[in-house]
Amino acid sequence: MSLLEKLSSLEQEITERISQADSLASLKELEIKYLGRKGPLNEIMKGLGGVAPKDRKAVGQKANAARKAIQALFADSASHYETGTRTAGLDPTRPGTHQRLGAAHIVNQTMSSLCQTFHGMGFEIAHGPDIETDYYNFEALNFPPDHPARDMQDTFFVDGGRLLRTHTTPVQARELERRKPPIKVIMPGKTFRNEEITTRSHVSFHQVDGFMVGERISMADLKAVLRAFTSAYFGPDLKLKFRPSFFPFTEPSMEVDIQCWLGEEGKGCQLCKYTGWLEILGCGMIHPNVLETAGIDSERYTGYAFGIGVERIAMLRHGITDIRYLFNNNTRFLRQFV
Amino acid sequence: MQVPHSWLQELTGLDWSATEMADRLTMAGTACEQIDDVAAHLDRVVVGRVESLRPHPNADKLRLATVSTGGATDEIVCGAPNVAVGQMVAVAQLGAELVGGLTIKAAKIRGVESRGMICSQAELGLSDDQAGIWVLPEDVVVGQPVAEALSLNDSVLHFELTPNRADSMSVLGIARDLAALSGETLRYPTRDLHQEGDDLNQHFSIDVADTEACPRFTVRVIRDVTIGPSPWWLQRRLLLAGVRPISNVVDVTNYVMLEYGNPSHAFDLDKLGTNKIGVRWGQAGERVVTLDGKERATGPEILVVTNGDKAVSVAGVIGGASTEISDETTNICLEMAYWNPGVVRRCRKKLEIVTDASQRFEKGADPNAIEAVSAYAAQLIADLGGGTVQNGFVDTYPRPIQRPRIELRTARCGEILGYPVTTERITEILTGLEFDVSTGDPLVVDCPTWRHDMEREIDLIEEVGRINGYDIVPDVDVAYGPLVAPRHRIDIFRDELRTQLCAGGFDECMGHGLGSSQLAEKLAPERPLVRIVNPVSEDLDIARNNLYQHMLESIGHNINHRNLDLRLFEIGRIYLPPANDAGEGTESLRLVIGVAGEMTGDWRNPSRSLDFYDLSGALIATARHFRWPELTLRPEAIPWADAGASFAIRVGDCLLGAAGRVDAQLARQFDIKLPVYLAELTLDSLVAAAPDVKFAPLPRYPASSRDIAAVVSTDVPVGEMLAKATEAAGPLLESIRLFDLFTGKQLGEGKQSVGIRLDYRAEDRSLTSDEVDAAQKAVIAALQAAFTAEIREN
Repeated sequence: MSLLEKLSSLEQEITERISQADSLASLKELEIKYLGRKGPLNEIMKGLGGVAPKDRKAVGQKANAARKAIQALFADSASHYETGTRTAGLDPTRPGTHQRLGAAHIVNQTMSSLCQTFHGMGFEIAHGPDIETDYYNFEALNFPPDHPARDMQDTFFVDGGRLLRTHTTPVQARELERRKPPIKVIMPGKTFRNEEITTRSHVSFHQVDGFMVGERISMADLKAVLRAFTSAYFGPDLKLKFRPSFFPFTEPSMEVDIQCWLGEEGKGCQLCKYTGWLEILGCGMIHPNVLETAGIDSERYTGYAFGIGVERIAMLRHGITDIRYLFNNNTRFLRQFV
Repeated sequence: MQVPHSWLQELTGLDWSATEMADRLTMAGTACEQIDDVAAHLDRVVVGRVESLRPHPNADKLRLATVSTGGATDEIVCGAPNVAVGQMVAVAQLGAELVGGLTIKAAKIRGVESRGMICSQAELGLSDDQAGIWVLPEDVVVGQPVAEALSLNDSVLHFELTPNRADSMSVLGIARDLAALSGETLRYPTRDLHQEGDDLNQHFSIDVADTEACPRFTVRVIRDVTIGPSPWWLQRRLLLAGVRPISNVVDVTNYVMLEYGNPSHAFDLDKLGTNKIGVRWGQAGERVVTLDGKERATGPEILVVTNGDKAVSVAGVIGGASTEISDETTNICLEMAYWNPGVVRRCRKKLEIVTDASQRFEKGADPNAIEAVSAYAAQLIADLGGGTVQNGFVDTYPRPIQRPRIELRTARCGEILGYPVTTERITEILTGLEFDVSTGDPLVVDCPTWRHDMEREIDLIEEVGRINGYDIVPDVDVAYGPLVAPRHRIDIFRDELRTQLCAGGFDECMGHGLGSSQLAEKLAPERPLVRIVNPVSEDLDIARNNLYQHMLESIGHNINHRNLDLRLFEIGRIYLPPANDAGEGTESLRLVIGVAGEMTGDWRNPSRSLDFYDLSGALIATARHFRWPELTLRPEAIPWADAGASFAIRVGDCLLGAAGRVDAQLARQFDIKLPVYLAELTLDSLVAAAPDVKFAPLPRYPASSRDIAAVVSTDVPVGEMLAKATEAAGPLLESIRLFDLFTGKQLGEGKQSVGIRLDYRAEDRSLTSDEVDAAQKAVIAALQAAFTAEIREN
């Protein structure tokens, strides 16, 4: 083993011993043992005399550097004890080497986890176009020709009579046409409404709509699925309330409120307007007209459908107060959800 | 729709509190959003009598009113022009809390002490009428609390109605749901009709030109009426329902509309000038002045009511000024009609006006209640105005509307609702809602004509479900479904791409999907536009055809907010118009990456500017992760990028996008003054799964590494040097990488030093230094030859 190799292996040995030292006293003991007059460092340095003269200068320089490094190890380690903040040579309070993680957008995180929850219950994910026909967005979903949603005030129309879909349920109409029951599908995506951009409304938002069609599907199945979903997503002990409502494509239709988990127990909060309940989704049994339009026997098959507003869920869950934060992409906002 | 609690109590006989009614109705589909306490601002507000008035010494517009409130007499400063001696008024005494948090205190107003305040209805929260002080009915007792004197200890329930329930746009409609929920019987308000004189049918005629648009039109006449204010009981109900009282006749039409849901219209019979009513479509050039004082053109899309000649009102929407009830009116022609809902909707849209009547007609009033409701309204007018109802009911109803008949199977009801419901219970619920139900199975159900939402069996099942309540539906385990829900490639790909970019330190943005045509012309001039016909604003007039715009806006927003470490991406769709008239449009999935500002440093790695290579690095890592064919960037002109910093992105041979540094002038449009780098990439062809990775055996023999530092002109592309070195090194080269790159004075102007590390290895043996040296020599020679490289040894 060459002299330099010996120094290198000694440095390794010392480093290891220092890391095992558990007090300043044991560190001093080690220092005396290794760096003392009769210690191994001096012994190795004595070997310099045996090095060939032509190499002596270079080896000597390197050996000196190694000796200084070893001495520095002890000094450094001792100072750790003296400042009282460190143990055994490493400073755990020092920020580790920075590793930047990017943040997935909270709307997409929410949409993904909604989809995962339903996928776990056997729902397949389906997509459709964002720019839809009147047929799939309205007509096939039992909207009467003069329904207010078909007004220019609510819906963006584009050249050629198509429109920016106002919900993702048109995907349901498409899937009903091309599949045979039993069908269990979840439909995430972007939707649009012709609204002013304010703290609570935006021109664009996201939905996760879902439905199932099969034999003997009843409201009890719908409630079971929604309860499974809310248990998984919001927590198992929250109560649900099913209020009758109206959507053209479901009948009976309901809105579902979940017990507010944000404020003080039983008192609610600003978000639920102190009612103790938060509206989280709309749902119902698929209207037989919708099944029949898609060529499905509405006597034999029944089904349920539901629709969840992703922004609403994300805002509720994370206490986000202004929907515009979701679209202006301020990194101070985005990076809160890393 | 807002309804006083006391009104609902009267029609149902229920003693439920306002809250209980609100909860039960909400859970049956008529959502109560708010309950207002009518007397919230009536504490310490008492009836006072204005005893005398004198001018305010220091203000022309103020007067000093001496007001007695029973025991005491106070002097109150009053600015209302309508205050007069002898009036009964509402006096807010010291300590009263009025609307807006105003607390009454003794205070000097322009130097004169005022003890209390004479209030308007608005100040008491009873209406928005703030035109003057509220003059109370004369029969109130001085000193009595106003709430007690005027029966205002009441609540108002505010309902948010669903569009399918036209019947809920009436107090009776809402009360009917309460009756069905409670088992009570609805108490219809009626008045015995006393008719006098000859039969109206003998000399009054109705001519309806379009009986599709106007299925039913009826008229009654009330004579010798004295116009005056309505009695307080009626005014009170209108006020609490949010309708301003005007005069007895107009108030009755409003009152009956609120109560029954049937709008009516009162013409001044003498101003009508004929004994004829016509209904026809408007004529070109025809104009009518409506009750709101506006002159409106009719035309062939507007249905009008005429006096046989001239238009006197817009059908189902608004009356005309020429036949308006005035203080001098004595004879009334009372119209009650049923209009085609679509016709009313189109008329009011065309005229851009919404009235209480049009709202009810366009959802559908009850055509078959008209005879009875009209009698009720006519008699009420006669009773309140001291007149008489003339004999006869002129009725044009050529095709009476039939009640929908629907069959309902008991078993089906249970199958849909998820729990068994007995025939008895179904019958009870439907009968409670005034459906006629047969016995047997299926039940044959005749639906009332106020329910325009009854078309088929499911509609009846919903009635049963909502009255029973949905909370009683059990949860069951989901019976079955497809065994496996596959996960599609597009979803896996998007999630994976997002995860991979986030792991690389990039933050994900969200775009709203709209864009500006003006900016699109600069950012993607080659792409056609999908224009929005009815944009919300000029700068959001297209469905976006690029992801650049929103990314640049996001970068600008962040720089303005001093967030300067900007490594951003968005995965989203862009929209292109259909290639031909028949086809659907193209929606293409894109990735945009934006980089600007400075990478935050730490104690080990100093901060540095973010630049193009941070962007290309992310693209290359992405390509490698998904095992796309080689990703290359080659110079190519791009509309938005600087010359010399403008590249086409190719994956394999396919041109899939563009990358570069944004033109500084364009960047300034987004308020960006820093260099900003963008790339947009089409993902559609990249979604497919990569082939599986084949395992490569790990090396058994050691590698030898060699470094080269080559000084070349800064014009030499480093990628080409690496390629040339790879080619020259031959088969022993295992890997090559750029480990160092710098320029500096010591190198000379226009020179760069390129540090390249080459690892050599053979699969079957340890390489000798001769072998490696030979390869290395070849590399050096190749670099010298190709790039006139100066090789530096160290």
